[in-house]
Amino acid sequence: MVLGNYKNCVCARAADPAILSASQDGGIVTQLFAFALEEGIIDGAVVAGQGDEPYKPEPVVATTVAELMEARGTRYTICPNVSMIKEATRSYGLDKVGIVGTPCQIQAVRKAQLYPMGMRSVGSKVALAIGIFCMENFSYQGLEAMVEDLCNVKMESASKMDIGKGKFSVYTARGAVSQIPLKLTNKFEQPGCKVCLDYVANLADVSTGSVGSPDGWSTVFVRTKAGETLWGKAIEAGYFETQSIEDVKPGLGLVTKLATDKITKNQKNLDERASFGVGKGLRNPYI
Amino acid sequence: MSKVVEISPTTRHEGHTKLTMQVDDNGVVTRGDWLSLTPVRGIEKLAIGKSMHQAPKISSRVCGICPIAHTLAGTEAMEASIGCIIPDDAYLLRVILQCANRISSHALHNILSLPDMYLPGTDTHINPFTPEQPVRSVAQRIQKLREVSQTVGEIVGGEPIHPSNPRVGGMYKNISPRAKLKIYDLAKEAIPLAQAQMDFMISVFKDWDARPMASVAGGKEVEKTEKFGFHDQGYMATDTLYGSSSLDLDPKWYPERWTEVRPWDWYQGELEVSLEDPDYPIGGTTPVGTKVWPAMEACTGVPLYDGTPVETGPRARLAMFKNYDRKGAMGLQIARQMEYMDCLYSMIEAVEALDTNGKVVADEIPQGDGSLGWAANEAPRGTDVHLTKVKDGKVEWYSLLVPTTWNFPTVSRALEGAPWQLTEVIMRAYDPCVSCATHMMVVDDSKKVVARKLFQ
Repeated sequence: MVLGNYKNCVCARAADPAILSASQDGGIVTQLFAFALEEGIIDGAVVAGQGDEPYKPEPVVATTVAELMEARGTRYTICPNVSMIKEATRSYGLDKVGIVGTPCQIQAVRKAQLYPMGMRSVGSKVALAIGIFCMENFSYQGLEAMVEDLCNVKMESASKMDIGKGKFSVYTARGAVSQIPLKLTNKFEQPGCKVCLDYVANLADVSTGSVGSPDGWSTVFVRTKAGETLWGKAIEAGYFETQSIEDVKPGLGLVTKLATDKITKNQKNLDERASFGVGKGLRNPYI
Repeated sequence: MSKVVEISPTTRHEGHTKLTMQVDDNGVVTRGDWLSLTPVRGIEKLAIGKSMHQAPKISSRVCGICPIAHTLAGTEAMEASIGCIIPDDAYLLRVILQCANRISSHALHNILSLPDMYLPGTDTHINPFTPEQPVRSVAQRIQKLREVSQTVGEIVGGEPIHPSNPRVGGMYKNISPRAKLKIYDLAKEAIPLAQAQMDFMISVFKDWDARPMASVAGGKEVEKTEKFGFHDQGYMATDTLYGSSSLDLDPKWYPERWTEVRPWDWYQGELEVSLEDPDYPIGGTTPVGTKVWPAMEACTGVPLYDGTPVETGPRARLAMFKNYDRKGAMGLQIARQMEYMDCLYSMIEAVEALDTNGKVVADEIPQGDGSLGWAANEAPRGTDVHLTKVKDGKVEWYSLLVPTTWNFPTVSRALEGAPWQLTEVIMRAYDPCVSCATHMMVVDDSKKVVARKLFQ
């Protein structure tokens, strides 16, 4: 069960070339939010918008497709989307909010729905939670060090960053590509990521990521009833191109392998923490 | 011969109070005291030394029924002390909040008042929780009005109960154009409901006023007296809707006219209860022989305006600014219902005037030089005055003069001449909210004085 409960899993990409032009992989999140906005399933979505510094995202409430397009692409650093979800229901006046987040952020959203401490009347307004696959995340200073010091690229010149096939790659607008092996990036990971047991956002309505699909495509897990209804409608309306996950390489096997790796590695960390110190141990955040 | 009867605790209002009354042979009150038993919370002391941004947030926590009034009065008192003028759009957002708070509170008070009233044309008390019509639709209407006002409070204030958005210098955030439309739609939706609710409540209160006999819910029917709930005190109000502050060119409240009397100089001394009714709802009145001492038990000071108690609240606002003149407990109840529409129309006006791109924080927020500033907010129950001195961004002195504190001595006078079995109806007409009213006690050496008084 390393992949969580899901109703179906496909390999997909957005049908809109405008979205694909600057998307990370298959443009699933942008396309799905755009569809939900047009259909009135959500009034707006909390997404990682452009911040003041390059590749430093800030959570924004996007209420139009144009605002969603501004936020395309992955920034490999922390974007506190959950901090915006309450404000979306307040001064933005939204009744049906969409949110995208890493597995831990989706866990936080679900927790806020179950135990709405300081989140009064927010839970019922979360209409769509899209999760993204996540092996680990980096602090902004960590990302800066990786890009500027290890890859020798100025943050301002980077046009895209990507993690895949065991490498962290930075592309520049002038066409240069810098790659470093992922093991060099380990020390820049956030400490919290080392005890996380969720790779594929098990609690999201729909979760997606590049792993398991060919370049330019994404793997999509449809997990909940709400997610299934929305996904079905979007497919019917022709918003996505799909392929069966069994037909593509590397396929679900790789997702399972990476999820198992993450959980095994982090479970070991958790077990070590449990016996850390004298007779105490560090608290396991999952129990 | 006069007898002493006590209803303790009183019910269907916020906080803990009791009524201690001397009655004549017919059971008519000759001297009545309505006093607060809610323990002192010490908000005014807690605020000292805190930053001016924090103090209004603390004072908001006095009570969950009109936290908006306390937040706004507190914030504006700070602004008055430091001399900060807020942008127009921030003011409009506060007006919207104010309207939302008043609708919510008035609607809630309808539920508290209805059980004493009768369905017009019948002798049945209204149970607002019954599933039967027509009461069920009234209850649903009340809840819908509350939902609308709480949602508006949530959008503009950030939270439906303790608003986080107001700050010294304006508001933290403006609202989005979409939120503006939403407020407009909600207010439009509420207008016909409020109209119907107002008409219904006024007919119910007029029906009660016209009855020769009446009872509180579950109580014995007694003959009503003429001039039920009348008093001869004056009114105090600063505005029909919002309030006034010492920054105004023409302030409507005057600190020099305010004096305060300690409770032991005002309320009745030691008494022994000599009349009891075990059937009075709920659980009977205080047993005969119980010693009571209102002067020592009261937890509030007695604020006076021009040396005399005054009434504050919906009727005071309408009487001072709109020539309203219906006296008595039902006169006050009817005035309260008449405020519904004004709130909604003012909300719509404010939201129409609001520029969602306008700035909502003042460019310059001075840190204060310790001068006295006050702000009076027309809370649902009356004039809520906060006074403060801010120096270098820190609160040096803070005092809350809240509506029900003003009304305590006035209600005590209004009890006179009414049958004691119906005195709770008079008290409830003032929509008491007592927890904040208790803070009056906290002034410099009050602890010492109370202790000395008790030793004697």
